[in-house]
Amino acid sequence: MGRYILRRLFSVIPTLIGVTLVIFLFQRLIPGDPAVAMLGEHATTENVARIREQFGLDKPAFLDRDALAEGDLSGFFDSQYVRYFGRLLQFDLGDSIHRRIPIAETLQERFPATVELALLAMAISLTIGIPIGILSAARRNSILDGTTMVGSLIGVSVPIFWLGIMEIMLFAVILKWLPSGGRLSSGVVIEPITNLLLLDSLLTGNWAGFTDALKHIIMPAVALATIPTAIITRMTRSSMLDVLQEDYIRTASAKGLAEGIVLFRHALKNAFLPVITIIGIQVGSLLAGAVLTETIFSWPGIGKWVYDSILGRDYPIVQGVTLLIAIIFLLVNLLVDLSYALIDPRISYE
Amino acid sequence: MNRKIFYRLFVLLLLSGMLLSACGTPAEAPAEPAVEPEVPVEPEEVKDTFIFGRGADSVQLDPSLVTDGESFRVTGQVLDSLYAFEQGTTNPVPSLAECTPNEDASVWACKLREGVKFHDGTDFNADAVIFNFERWRFTDHPFHFPSQVFEYYEAMWGGFDDASIITEVKKIDDLNIEFVLSSPMAPFLANLAMDMFAISSPAAIQAAGEAYGTPNGGCVGTGPYKFVSWQEGTEIVLVANEEYWGEPAKVKNVIIRVIPDDSARFLALQAGDIDALEQAVVEDLITAEADTNLQILTRPALNTSYLAFNFKILEFQDIRVREAVAHAIDREGLISNFFGKYGSVATNFLPPLLLGHNADIKDWTFDPELSKSLLADAGFPDGLKEVTVAEDVTDADGNVLYTAGEKIPLRLYYMPVTRFYFPAAKEVGEGMAANLNAAGFNVELYLEGDWPTYLGGRRNGTLMGLYLLGWGGDNGDPDNFLGYFYSSGAEPIAREGWYQNADLAAILQEAVTLPVPEDRAALYRQAEQMLHDDVARIWLGHNNTPLILSAAVQGYVPQPVGAENFEYVSFSN
Repeated sequence: MGRYILRRLFSVIPTLIGVTLVIFLFQRLIPGDPAVAMLGEHATTENVARIREQFGLDKPAFLDRDALAEGDLSGFFDSQYVRYFGRLLQFDLGDSIHRRIPIAETLQERFPATVELALLAMAISLTIGIPIGILSAARRNSILDGTTMVGSLIGVSVPIFWLGIMEIMLFAVILKWLPSGGRLSSGVVIEPITNLLLLDSLLTGNWAGFTDALKHIIMPAVALATIPTAIITRMTRSSMLDVLQEDYIRTASAKGLAEGIVLFRHALKNAFLPVITIIGIQVGSLLAGAVLTETIFSWPGIGKWVYDSILGRDYPIVQGVTLLIAIIFLLVNLLVDLSYALIDPRISYE
Repeated sequence: MNRKIFYRLFVLLLLSGMLLSACGTPAEAPAEPAVEPEVPVEPEEVKDTFIFGRGADSVQLDPSLVTDGESFRVTGQVLDSLYAFEQGTTNPVPSLAECTPNEDASVWACKLREGVKFHDGTDFNADAVIFNFERWRFTDHPFHFPSQVFEYYEAMWGGFDDASIITEVKKIDDLNIEFVLSSPMAPFLANLAMDMFAISSPAAIQAAGEAYGTPNGGCVGTGPYKFVSWQEGTEIVLVANEEYWGEPAKVKNVIIRVIPDDSARFLALQAGDIDALEQAVVEDLITAEADTNLQILTRPALNTSYLAFNFKILEFQDIRVREAVAHAIDREGLISNFFGKYGSVATNFLPPLLLGHNADIKDWTFDPELSKSLLADAGFPDGLKEVTVAEDVTDADGNVLYTAGEKIPLRLYYMPVTRFYFPAAKEVGEGMAANLNAAGFNVELYLEGDWPTYLGGRRNGTLMGLYLLGWGGDNGDPDNFLGYFYSSGAEPIAREGWYQNADLAAILQEAVTLPVPEDRAALYRQAEQMLHDDVARIWLGHNNTPLILSAAVQGYVPQPVGAENFEYVSFSN
C-alpha cells in the first residue's frame, strides 16, 4: 500500500507540469492583453508597453527561438513560462498584475472560505443523499421512491442562481432570519486558526461567532449542495438496486436477517464503490465550481476571484488557483482509490 | 462501530446547527466582536453605519494609480484634493487650497488650508503637495515605481517629466505654493479637483512603499473618513475622522460592500443589509419605484454613448454613407426602450450640463427612406453588405490584419459589457442592426472578444466597421470630452477609428488655453457643429445613473463627477 501511495504521489508531478503547460497555453490563446485590461479605457500604447515589460509579458510565452538563432542560450530560456516555472519551484505563485499583491496571501484568505462552503455542502449532500438513496432503493416503486426520483430530477435541473435568489428572498427579505450574503457580519470577530470560521469559532468557544458564521453559510451551502445531493441520491439508489438483486442479498434475507442489517451491512458496502467515485468528483467540482454560488451570496471564495481574474487577464491568479485545484483533484482521486481497498477486500494495492 | 458513532455524531451536529440557524435572531449585524451568547441588536435610532453595496471591488486605494470609479468611491471619502466639486455640480470649489491665476493663467498661486493634518498625524503643507505632484510627474522619483502607471497624470497634465504641463510646483512658504505651467490651461482647477489628484500623506507612502493603496497598505489622507480595513472582494471599512477640517461626518462608520450579483444586491437592500446601491437592473428599479421603504436618486449624466465609424473603410470616407447611417437609426426608440426613463437622446458629444454644449444643432431625423436614397446617391442602390479596406490595418505588433482592397462584411461591433453610459449594449446593437438592415445596410452584429479585447481593438483602430462605445467625464470640463478625443486629430487617430480633422484639432487646442469660459464655450459649440456637419460620429444618448437607497437615508447628493460625499449622509428615525 505504501509503495502504491508513493508511486501515485510521484505520478502527480508530471501531471501537474502538464497542467501548468495547458493552463499557460490556453490563457495566452485567449485574445486580450493583461496590460490593456489593467489600464482600461485610458490606456496609451506607451503605458501598455511599459506594463507588459514590467510583468515580463513582452517575453515569448514558452521559448525564444530568435534568441537561439542568435546563439543566445540564456535568452532562449528567458520566457514567461520558464520564469513562472522557476518561481513555482520556489513555491512562489507570483503577484496579481492588477493589485500587485502576492497571490499566496489572497489564497490564504479566500481558499478556506471555499473549502468551508464546499465541505458543508458535501456534508449536506451525503447526509441527505445517501440515506434517501438507500431507502428509495429498498422501497422501489413506492411513493417515497417516486418522490425521491422527481425531487432529485428537480435538484439536478434547478439553476443555482434562481435557487439562491429564492433563498435570499424568502429567508433574508421576507422572514429576515438569515443575512442576504457575506461570510460574517461586520464587527463580528473570530480569531483565525484555520480560517474555517465554523471550526475556528468552535475551537475558541466563540458561540456568537459560530452562530453568525453558520447563519451566513447555510443558504449558500444548501444552494451549492442541491446538485451533488441529487446526483448522490440517484447514484446510491441505482447502485443499491443492482446490489439488492444479487443472490447473496436474497440469501441474507432468506436467512431472516433484519432489513437494516441486510441493507447497511451487506448491500451498502458493495453498492458504495461507484458512489464514492461520484463523491470524489463532486468534492473537486464543489471546490472548483462554486462561482455562481459565491457570486449570488457574495461569498469571498476563490470561484468569483478566478472568474474576475480570467476576465481581467490576471494570468498569475488564474495559474495559481488552477494549479491548486488540480492538486486537490489529484489528491481526492488518490483518496478515492485508496478508499476502494478499505471498503472492498477484493481490491488490494499490494 | 466507531464509524457508526462518528456518523451519528456528525449528523447530530449538522442538525443542531440547522436548528440553531432557524431559531436564530434576525440577521442584524452585532456591532462589537461577539463573545456573548446573545447577539446584541442595536436600536434603530442609533444607527451609525452607512453601508453602500456595489458590484465590484476597488482596484487600488492610491487614487493616482487607478481609473476605476469603485476605487474613487472609497478614496473620495479618505483623501481630499486641493479643489473639490461643489455638491451636485461640476463646479470646482476650494478644498485644501484656494488658487488664483496670473494674467494669462500660466502661473497659479495657491494658499493651502491651515491646520490640516493627515490621518497619521503628519502636517498637510506645501512639502506634502510638492511630494505628491513630483511623485506623479517624475518617472525617476523614488516613489514612482516602475510597475506603477500614473495614467491620469499623464492624460490630464500632458505627460511625465519634461512633457508635463506643470513645469514646477514652487514652495513659497509652508502654506503657499505656485504651480508654473508651460502654457495656459483653462481646466486647471477642474483637474485639481479630480479624485485622482487627491493628496496622500508622504509619510504613509514612504512607509508603505509599493504597498501603499493595496489591501495591506490602505491609504492615508486628510478626508472626513479614515481607512480602517480592506477585506479583498468583501468590504472596505472606514471610520469618521473626528479631527476633520471641514464639516464632520454625520455617520460614524462607512462600509463599502461588494455584492457582485445585481439582483442579490437589490435583495440585500430590501432586507436592510445595505443602505444604498448602484447598478440596478431595470426590473429592480421598477420594484423600487413602488416600494415606499426605498428611494431612487439619479446622478446627472456626464456621459455620452455613441456609434463610431472606422475611417479605414473606404465606404465610410463618403459623407453620404455616414449620413445614411445617421438617418437609419431610431435613436429615440432605442433610448426609450433600453435606457428607460433615465436616458435621453444625445445631439452633442458634450452632455447638456457641460460648458460648450450646442443646443442649436439640428438633430438627424429617423428616416430610412432618406437613408436608402443617400446610399443610392453614394453608388449603392442595392444597399451595402460588404465594405472595402482602404489601407492596411495592423495590430499592436505590426502584423497585418486587413489588407488594402480587401472586401469584408459590414460589421456592427457591440460592447461585451454593460457600462454606466451604455446600460444594454447588446440589445441596443440588435435594435440598431435591425434599423440599419431596414434602411439598406446589411450589417453583421459582431462580438470582438471580451472587454479588454474590445478596448484593445478600439485603441489600435482594428474594429473594422461600425462600433458602439461611450465616454464618461472625469472632471466636468469640455476638454475632457472633445479635447481628449480629437485635439490630436491633425493626423488620423487610431483610437478614434482613424478620424482626422486638423481644423477641429486646432480649435480644440486653442479652447483649452482660453481663460474666459464664454470664449471657450463658443469654440466648443463650433467644434460640436463641425463634428455634426462632418457626421464624424452618431451620438446616441446620455444616461442619468440611478441609485437606490433606503428611504431612511438623508443627505445623499449624487455627484455628476467625482466621488459622492458620504460625510453628509444621515438617517431619519
